Amino acid sequence: MDSIRKEVLDFYRSLGTKIIDKSHDQDTTDLHKCITYIWDFAPDANKSTLCILVAGALGGRYDHEMGNLNVLYCFSSLRIVLLSDDSLIYLLPRTHHHEIHIQTCVEGPHCGLIPIGAPSGSSTTTGLRWNLNNTEMRFGGLISSSNIVVGEKVTVQSDTDLLWTISIKKL
Amino acid sequence: MLRLQSIILAKAKHFTVPSPYSLRLVKKRTIAMDLMHHSSCFLLPTIPLQRRPSLITAQLHLCADGGANRLYDEMPLFFPQEDASDVRRSMIGALIHGRYKPDVIKGDMDSIRREVLEFYASLGTEIVDKSHDQDTTDLHKCVTYIRDSASGLDKSNLCILVVGALGGRFDHEMGNLNVICRFSYMRIVLLSNDSLIHLLPRTYCHEIHIQTSVEGPHCGLIPIGTPSKSSTTTGLQWDLNNTAMEFGGLVSTSNIVKEEKVTVQSDCDLLWTISIKKL
Repeated sequence: MDSIRKEVLDFYRSLGTKIIDKSHDQDTTDLHKCITYIWDFAPDANKSTLCILVAGALGGRYDHEMGNLNVLYCFSSLRIVLLSDDSLIYLLPRTHHHEIHIQTCVEGPHCGLIPIGAPSGSSTTTGLRWNLNNTEMRFGGLISSSNIVVGEKVTVQSDTDLLWTISIKKL
Repeated sequence: MLRLQSIILAKAKHFTVPSPYSLRLVKKRTIAMDLMHHSSCFLLPTIPLQRRPSLITAQLHLCADGGANRLYDEMPLFFPQEDASDVRRSMIGALIHGRYKPDVIKGDMDSIRREVLEFYASLGTEIVDKSHDQDTTDLHKCVTYIRDSASGLDKSNLCILVVGALGGRFDHEMGNLNVICRFSYMRIVLLSNDSLIHLLPRTYCHEIHIQTSVEGPHCGLIPIGTPSKSSTTTGLQWDLNNTAMEFGGLVSTSNIVKEEKVTVQSDCDLLWTISIKKL
C-alpha cells in the first residue's frame, strides 16, 4: 500500500472493497501478491480454467514492467495475460505444444516470440511470415520480433518457456 | 549547449569505451576485472531551470524509419508559438541551440510516411534504404551505420542514446533490448519518459554514478537473456550478495538506489534500469 492514495483507499473501502495490506512482504511485487490471492481464493474446480487479465501491465517504469513479466514465469502453470494499449503478452510454457487462435478483428498482425530469461536451443512455428524451424533464439542473437501472423492459427513448440506477444488493433 | 558538451568531454574518461576483451588477473582466488564507469549526465538540462526538453547535443542524429514521423509530428508541439515548418527546419537560436533535422534516416522504410521522407530529404538528410534486409530491426541498422559507416564521427568514446525506445509494441521493445545485447561492446542507452536502460556486460565490474537530480531512486537489475548464478551489488536498498537471479525466481525490480554510486558485478550480462524524474 505504498502507492495507493489515502482518499482512493478510503473511497473503495467505503464501497465494501476488501483491503489486504501486505506491506510487511517486500520480497514480492504487488502483482505477485494479487496472483497469489487469486490462486488461493479460487475454488479448486475452477483453477484449471482460470484466466487472469492484467490491464496496464506495460509502460511506465521499466523495472515494474520486468517485474510483471517475471510474474508470468513464476506462475507458469496459470493463464495470465498482460495487456497494454498496444500489445498482449502471455507465456507459452515449454511443457506444451501451443495452438494460438488469432482474433484478426482485434489483434495482429505484428507479433513476436521472446526467449526472456533463458536461450532456446530449438523452437518451431507455423502460421508466421518468418517461421522458426528448430531455430535457436537468445538475447544477443536471434529473437523473433516484428514477425507477422499469416492466417488465423499459429502453432509454437519450444524447448524453453517463450513469451508470445501480438499487437492489439486500434479501434 | 557548450556546458553540456564540456560535461560530456570532461567525463570522457568515464565514458571510455572499454577494450573488447576483459583483463583477468587470477590471484589467490581473486579475479580482478576492468572497471566500467557509467554516468547519465546527458540527462542534465543544458540550462538550469530550463523547462523545454533537454536538448542532447550529439555528433549525429539518426531516425530509425518511423522515428522520423514522430520527430516531424511532435517537435513543433514543444514550440507552439512558433511556425511548425520553421521548427522542423531551423537552427534554434537564443535559449536552445541545436537542430531538429536528422542527419540520417535509415531502416526498411515501411513505417515512415512519404511526405516526411520527402521533407527531410529536401533538407539534405541522408536517406539509407535497407528494405532488402528483413533480418535486422531498424534500430539494429542504425547502430550498424554508426559503427561502420558514419564518417567524420569520433568513435573513441561513443555513446548512443536511443530516444523513444520503449513503450508501444512489445515486440519492438524486445527487439530494441536485443540490439543492446547484440552490441554489448558498445555503450547504448535506451530512454523513455520514465526509465533509462543500459547493459552491464559480465566482463566488467561496474560503477554507476547516479545523477540524483534527474534519475532514481527506483531501479532494477534484470538477467534478460540467461540466469545469473551470482550477482553482487553495493549502493542499493536490497543489495545482492553472490545472489542467484533468474526469470521464474528472483529478479531485482522495485529496488532503490541508496547512494550516489552503485557497483555491480555479475556472471552474466544484466540490464540496469533506473527511473527518470519528472521535471
